[in-house]
Order: sequence, then C-alpha cells, then structure tokens
Amino acid sequence: MGKRPVVVISSSDDEDGGCSVSAGCNSSRTKSERSVGRKKCRRLKKASVLNRQLCKQGHKEEEANFDALLKDFYEDFHGHSMAPGERGRRQKLGSPWADSRELWVDKYRPRSLEELAVHKKKIEEVKMWLEEWVRTSKEQFCGHVLVITGQAGVGKSATINVIASQLGAEVCEWKTPTPTLWQEYIHNANSGTHYISKLEEFETFVERSTQIPTVILVTEYGKAESGDNTKYSEELVLSLERAGASKVAFNPLTFNSIKKTLSRICREEQCNVPPEWIDHIAKASGGDIRHAITSLQYFCLRPDLMLPLNLSSLSITQSRGKSEDLNEMSKLIINSDENLDYEFSLPFGRDETLTLFHALGKFLHNKRETVDCSALGRDLFTLKDRYKRFPLKMDSPERVLLQMHGQARPIADFLHENVLDFLSDEAIEDAWIVASYLSDADCLLSTSLHGQAWSPIVAGKHDPENVTQLVSASVAVRGVLFGNSHPSPSRWHAIRSPKLWQVEKLRWHNKKLMLLEKFEAYNIFSSYGMSVMATEYKPTLKRLGFRSLEDLQVCRKMTECSKMEVGVYDLLDHDEVEGGTSMESEEDEIEDW
Amino acid sequence: MAAASSSSSSANGYEIPWVEKYRPTKVADVVGNADAVSRLQVIARDGNMPNLILAGPPGTGKTTSILALAHELLGENCKEAVLELNASDDRGIDVVRNKIKMFAQKKVTLPPGQHKIIILDEADSMTSGAQQALRRTMEIYSNSTRFALACNTSSKIIEPIQSRCALVRFSRLSDQEILSRLMIVVEAEKVPYVPEGLEAIIFTADGDMRQGLNNLQATHSGFRFINQENVFKVCDQPHPLHIKSMVRNVLEGKFEDACSGLKQLYDLGYSPTDIITTLFRIIKNYDMAEYLKLEFLKETGFAHMRICDGVGSFLQLSGLLAKLSLVRETAKAF
Repeated sequence: MGKRPVVVISSSDDEDGGCSVSAGCNSSRTKSERSVGRKKCRRLKKASVLNRQLCKQGHKEEEANFDALLKDFYEDFHGHSMAPGERGRRQKLGSPWADSRELWVDKYRPRSLEELAVHKKKIEEVKMWLEEWVRTSKEQFCGHVLVITGQAGVGKSATINVIASQLGAEVCEWKTPTPTLWQEYIHNANSGTHYISKLEEFETFVERSTQIPTVILVTEYGKAESGDNTKYSEELVLSLERAGASKVAFNPLTFNSIKKTLSRICREEQCNVPPEWIDHIAKASGGDIRHAITSLQYFCLRPDLMLPLNLSSLSITQSRGKSEDLNEMSKLIINSDENLDYEFSLPFGRDETLTLFHALGKFLHNKRETVDCSALGRDLFTLKDRYKRFPLKMDSPERVLLQMHGQARPIADFLHENVLDFLSDEAIEDAWIVASYLSDADCLLSTSLHGQAWSPIVAGKHDPENVTQLVSASVAVRGVLFGNSHPSPSRWHAIRSPKLWQVEKLRWHNKKLMLLEKFEAYNIFSSYGMSVMATEYKPTLKRLGFRSLEDLQVCRKMTECSKMEVGVYDLLDHDEVEGGTSMESEEDEIEDW
Repeated sequence: MAAASSSSSSANGYEIPWVEKYRPTKVADVVGNADAVSRLQVIARDGNMPNLILAGPPGTGKTTSILALAHELLGENCKEAVLELNASDDRGIDVVRNKIKMFAQKKVTLPPGQHKIIILDEADSMTSGAQQALRRTMEIYSNSTRFALACNTSSKIIEPIQSRCALVRFSRLSDQEILSRLMIVVEAEKVPYVPEGLEAIIFTADGDMRQGLNNLQATHSGFRFINQENVFKVCDQPHPLHIKSMVRNVLEGKFEDACSGLKQLYDLGYSPTDIITTLFRIIKNYDMAEYLKLEFLKETGFAHMRICDGVGSFLQLSGLLAKLSLVRETAKAF
C-alpha cells in the first residue's frame, strides 16, 4: 500500500437489469459472476472476509495484481484524476490522434472542482467525508464506506476522481473486468501467466481495500420498468447504510450547470453553437451530462446547419414531411401509433421513460385547462353539459401510456386503488362513473389474462391481445380522467400499491399450502376439489383446533379410518353439528368412490 | 407467380427483393431524415464517430444508413473493421462477452480518426443483461471501437447505454420522399403503373420505405400492373379511409350511411378482426370530445372482445355502430 492516502472506488454492473450497481468492496460482484447474482454476492462477501488472513501474506503478489486491476481505468465519466500509471498508458494509446479520436466526454472530463457540474453542496459533502478520513487516524475512523447514488451521467465517478486528485490521493478503482476468453486463456497460459478467476481478483482487491476509505457508486435507473429490479439496488444501499456507510445521493444535474459545461466545451472546440441549441440540448439531456456532451458532439458534426433556430421552427421541420401531401387522399392518412411519438420528439435527448408513478400522478391529478379554448369548436355538435370537459393539460392519455411502457393490468389496478383519494368527498356521482369504467376495463382485460405473460416484443402491432391491452388501458385511464370531474384540491397523496395484489398473493400462497396439505394428507383420495378443502375441511379442522403439523397426521389418520374420526368428532360439543355433517357427507363420498 | 416474374424481369434466374436490390450504399442516398443523414455524412467524411443510437419506426433507413456509413467510413477495411449483429444472431450475454470483446480486441490498422464499428441492429430486443455487459465493453474499448445501435424504441435501451450514446432519431418518411424513391425503382424495373396505383402503395406503406417497396414488388409480380385496385388486392387491409368516414358518419348522425359503409367493407371480405382493429386505431387518433372518445373506445373494446371470442359476425359490427350512435345521441345537447 502506498504512503499516499488511497481511495478505492468499486464499480460493477448488476445483471438483473433494473439497476446497475457500481458497487463496492464489500458487496459488489464482478461481471464474471453476473449470472449468479445476488446470492453469490453475499457468499462472496463472506469468502472475502475469510480469505483476508491468507491474502495478507502474499503482499508482493497482490501489489502486482492490484496494478493489473487498475489498468482498465478508462472511464467515460467527466471526472479526471488518474493514477500516474494510468496517465502514461493513456498517452501511449491516444497521443498521436488524441484530438480527433477521442470522444468529447473523455476529452473534456473535469480536471478541477470548478469544472465539475455537480452541485457544490454534494461535492462538499463528499470532500468532507474524504478529508475527514485523511485527518483522523485509521483506528478512530470507523465507517470507511461512502455510498454515492444517482442516475447515469450525473458525475458520480467524476466527483470522486477530481476530489481525490485535489487531496493528492490515489484512486484505486475496481472496474469489472471483461471475462477472459478461451483464446486469451490459452495465450496467457503459453506465456506463463496463470489464469486468475475474476472472483479471486475481486477478492484480493477487497482484501486490500479494507484498510482504506471506500466509495461505492450506485447507478440508479430503470425505475419505469417493473419494480422488482430496483428493489435490489435499494436494498443494497439500505443494507450498506445499516452497516454504517454514509450515503450521498446525487440528483440529476441542473440545467444551468450543464449549460455552463456545454458552453465551455463549445468555446474550447471553437464551435459556434447558438445558445438556443445549447439550451435545448441541456434541456433534453434530462440531467445527464454525459449524454449532453455526446449530443453536443453529434450536433457539432454539422456546422453548416447551425443557424439560429428556435424550437418552433424545429418542430416545423419535423412535421413538414407530413404536410406535404400527394393529394386529398393522403391528407387523411392515419398516423399510426408510432407517428404520434416521433412527431413531438426532437432530434436529441434521451428518451425519457415516464415512471409509472409519474404517469399515475398525471392521470389522478387530472389537471385541465380552465378555459374552454376554441379547440372544441370543431365538434359537429355540442355535448350536454355534464359530458363536457375542459381540455387536458397533458398529452393524449395514449401517448402517456406509450411513454411509460405500462401493462394495462397494473395501471388499472393502481388507478383503482388510488383514485378515491383524488375525488372530492362529495362527488359520489364521479366515484360511480370512475368505478364503472374501471370495471369495464377490468372486464376487457379478463379475456387477455392468459396472454399477459407474453412479452410485448413477441406480440405484433396488430395482435388482438395487444388491442385488448391498449383498449383496456385507454378505457381505464380515460375513465378516470373523465369521471373525476371534481378533483379534490391538489394536495399530497401517497400512491399505494394495490391491496388487490396482496390479497391475490395471499390467495396463491394459501392455495399452494392447501394443495400441499392435500397431497400430504390425502394422497390416496385425490378426487377432492379445492372448494371442498377450503369450505369444509379446513374450517372444520380449525374448529377442531388442529394447527400444527402433528395434527395433520391425526387428520390423515382420520381420513384413513373413519371410525377414528367419528371418535374425535364425538369429543366435540354438539353445537358443531354443521361441521360434522359436512364431514359425514364427505365420508359418504369416499365410500362411494 | 414468382417463377413467371423471374423469367421476365430478371436475367439472374431469380429475383432478389427490391428492398435489397435498391438499398442505398451511400449515406447521401438515404431518403428522408435530412438532418440525421447529413450529420452521418459528416461522420463518414471526418471519422471519429461517437457512439450512436439510431431510433425510429421500421423502414425509415436506420440500418441502411449505418451500413452505408460503415462502408464509406472504412472503405476496404470494412470487412474486418465492422461487426454487425442483429436480432437473428444470438446476442445473449455470452455473445456480448465473447464475440464483441474479441472483435474489440482485434487489431485492425486504420487511419487516424477511424474506429472499428460494431453495429447492433434491433438492439431493443437485446436482454437487459446483455445490454449491461455491453456497457462495460463500450467503455473499455472506446478508443478503438465505436458502437452503433439501431432500434425501434430507444427507451428499451437501458439508461446507462443511452447516456453513453448520441441519439439519432429517424421519423417516418413523408409521402414525397417515398414517392421519389419509388419512382427510381419503378423506372429501373420498368414497371407499368398509373399514378393512383403508386398513391395506393404509398398509402399502404404508411411512411415505411421497406413496406412500400415490398408492396410495389408484390403487386408487380402479381399483376404486372400498378393500379389502385391491384395494390389493395395485394396489400389487403380494410381501407382506413373507409373506416374513418364510417366514424365520421356516426358522429354526424348519419347512421344509415355508416351502416352501408360497413356493409361494403364486410362484403369485400375483410374479417371482422381486421375491421375492428383498424377501427380502434382510428378512434384512438380521431379528434372528438373526450366523453365520446372514451365511450367509443369502450364499446370498441367490448366488440373486439366478443369478436375474439369467436362471434365475428356482421351483426356484431352493426351492433357496435348502433351503440356508437346511441352514445352520440345520449351525449348530444338538444
């Protein structure tokens, strides 16, 4: 270990898709064990603790190892602080054409705290933490893990690197290695180097890092997708915090700081990009500076086009294609679903997926214009007053649905669970309307239950299942929007996950248990229906006070030998007649059978 | 039919799809999306391609332009320095790990400013695990290898990858653009046509160049003549215009007109499923009052459900029209 303070950053990716965990020493996993996932990770943790003693001995070897690990320290964050070795390597690789070959994100990674686009306070927090560690002696300093969370491209790694270089610290970064290929292995074996499994590499890395402050970077994303995946990263962060790690959450970068950085790059590149475009790129990036810079690079590819354009003219160029019609007929061509999408989108910017909750919020809050603009004047006839609604303050519900990639079922369930909170208390009529539409949606969905598991990739655009899904989602959402004509004054509501799901889950669980019991107890008589089990046997058994497994055995005996059952039955009070008769009736069934 | 056409129109003995035959080989030749194409041209000239995501609906030239770009950029090195994988290739984590890594490590001598290119077509069908594995590879080899991902919906690409790429959006082609390309093909293949026929083809193509060319070729090999009737015979779908006018008739209170329109469609032999699917899409995009749209969607949904259950009769469709009219009547202020 060097004399200089050493900071360890660990990064690795999470394979389960929902989250990407740039995780740290204690709890991260390497790419090579991706498929193994979390469980293995825990094991790894233990293993690394066990191995600590062993590894201490081979210090020299480790050193070599460590350097090897460092060599892939080539990241496209915007932070820039390289261990001396790195810099050499970079120069070796990139120097001749450094300018023309590099991506701008690499070229313009921040080199000082001032250049960092991250919020000052956050930088300060991280810096304090690191300085704290440098000041206090190792014995006193207990929590030596810092967790930084944030979405992709907010400068997590950049911050660490810049601060570390300010402190004069060396950054030892664990970047998940790409797996060794067979050919590579053969090659290495011939040249005498031994193959070290990635897991072992990682373990050695962890060994070394236990003495030095560790920063764990967690990239959050995919919240729009099914909630299961994000749980892991949240869980990870939580468990780290419980273990005494301090946490700093990075927010998406502000519009202004991105703009500043982009302008700086423009100056240095001597690109004359009009400020409107910088604004626009910064806005479209969604707080992701890496994407903003990449977009800028792409944008600057075409200097001849960089006339001062404003957004309105932009949308005209976008939609111009559509207005050029061959004749009357094509004017009426129906835009298919996707067309809607592309009409509004601009040439850059990340595709923002609306989160489920965001979209639900839109639907439930039901914000509308307060004046009836002339848009409705084109109608052929006027509606009755109670069917009239002011225009929505959002895109068409179908478009929002498309953006959030939601399945109809969860949307309908969520709406059903939460909509009552958003209706004003007196509006019982509204509740009635909403409920009736939701039930319609539910009914439409019920036919496609079996098809739900199919991935949308398999189902084509014209697939009937797909139409069912779309219709029911539309009906549910539009029903809620339409029905909620007196939204309660907007205040904060927590959106609950549907209770229905818990009930459903419980039901499945019970059913499974029952099936299990059934097979355990009555493997000879498998002719019982589940309903008989649920409505007659179970209650009776409960009344009889059987609870535990041993009772099950009694119960088994009971069915095997009717005499005995009658005996048990006789012990009961006589107000148990009902249960008794049912038992008897089943007894008959058995005999008949 | 195919045999007949091959003997007459092509000397090769078989006819390659026109989509392939007339695929542009230069970025400049790509039709439509002028902005994106012009930028790609700059890349083709200057090199240093950033990582790109090309996103847009099918048939708008994503794959074509990226392939053309690779050809132009790398010239004769193209064979060694381009790796193209599409959804038909296995692209699980293993492939990303092995094939892509192997390619990225491969030493290819390229002039300055040029990089090896990995083209991942239909990237939205990659599993997120594979995309994760890709993310790492993208970082490590960024100084020698650049990525171009083509996909239909860019939001299916995981955010960390989106964050590392510039997004190039492709939108549907305008009718004019499709027409211009169709004319080239029509002239090259000496296809007899009437303008209405091409119009119909453009209509069925719906902004999708590939679809347009395929329809043209199909009509040509089927009937040897492009007119409206032949096109709709080949590219069979209930005419959206018909259905739209049906909806309009309902909204205007002309129930009988709507019914006769439906009868016409039905007599043409379209299946109720097709009719109702098109009807749904039209109602969805039709500009009408919120209540009406909601009710129309609901009724269409129920009718669709019944039809899917097997009750695909004319009666169901007429019933639907009746219900729609009823909705209109109840909502109308007198």
